Amino acid sequence: MTDLAERRGVETDVYQPAEDSHLLATVAAEQVGQDDLVLEVGTGSGYVAEHVATESGARVVASDLNPHACRSARERGVETVRADLVSPFRDDAFDAVLFNPPYLPTDESEAWDDWMEVALSGGETGRAVIDPFLRAVGRVLAPDGRVLLLVSSLTGVDEVVDTAATEGFSAAALRDESYPFESLTVLKLLR
Amino acid sequence: MKESLLDIICCPLDKADLELEVDEREGEEILEGSLTCTDCGETYPIEDGIPNLLPPDMREAA
Repeated sequence: MTDLAERRGVETDVYQPAEDSHLLATVAAEQVGQDDLVLEVGTGSGYVAEHVATESGARVVASDLNPHACRSARERGVETVRADLVSPFRDDAFDAVLFNPPYLPTDESEAWDDWMEVALSGGETGRAVIDPFLRAVGRVLAPDGRVLLLVSSLTGVDEVVDTAATEGFSAAALRDESYPFESLTVLKLLR
Repeated sequence: MKESLLDIICCPLDKADLELEVDEREGEEILEGSLTCTDCGETYPIEDGIPNLLPPDMREAA
């Protein structure tokens, strides 16, 4: 799990659940109540959305840019919308928004132009998708809503917390896990 | 998609309400149909139960 090429493996259409997915799914299931309306952005296989819905009893809607991911999530019984981040969701709609973003820093020379790159690559900084997400997510959050965002040490947790702060969020780390080449953190963002 | 999703989704361009047209339904699930923005008139397809709410300029590229 050191770089994109290794992560990529043989799967080229839909990112399959890995350590990051399990960590977000576990923490989110503890944070979400059965009366909450939840959005998972970039659901991929649909694993996190399905796990959270099953464990918490909450209604979980999922979105993804990738049509293969949308089909995969729907096959798991998840309500799925093909979307760019949060753009087709109503103002103040969600009690919680979950996101395991594409976060690996990538050179342009590493581009492969397939769905797995879209699922993994966070551009040069690793934050090419996280930053626009942070700018947009506040609109769809209910007044006391929260964001649960998975961030890797490769992406820079401090930088993500700073950007979140400029968008009016305070951040708390709910869980950290260390792996040989990165540590993963689930951030809870509140306004 | 379920009809109750209409309370959660909106036009990705102007955030206005969407009007549902159903072509094929299976129980609660709408399998085929379309969603049309009540403000700008842009139409979004529902295919295999999944609404495609990408903005029109991303539909081809993605």
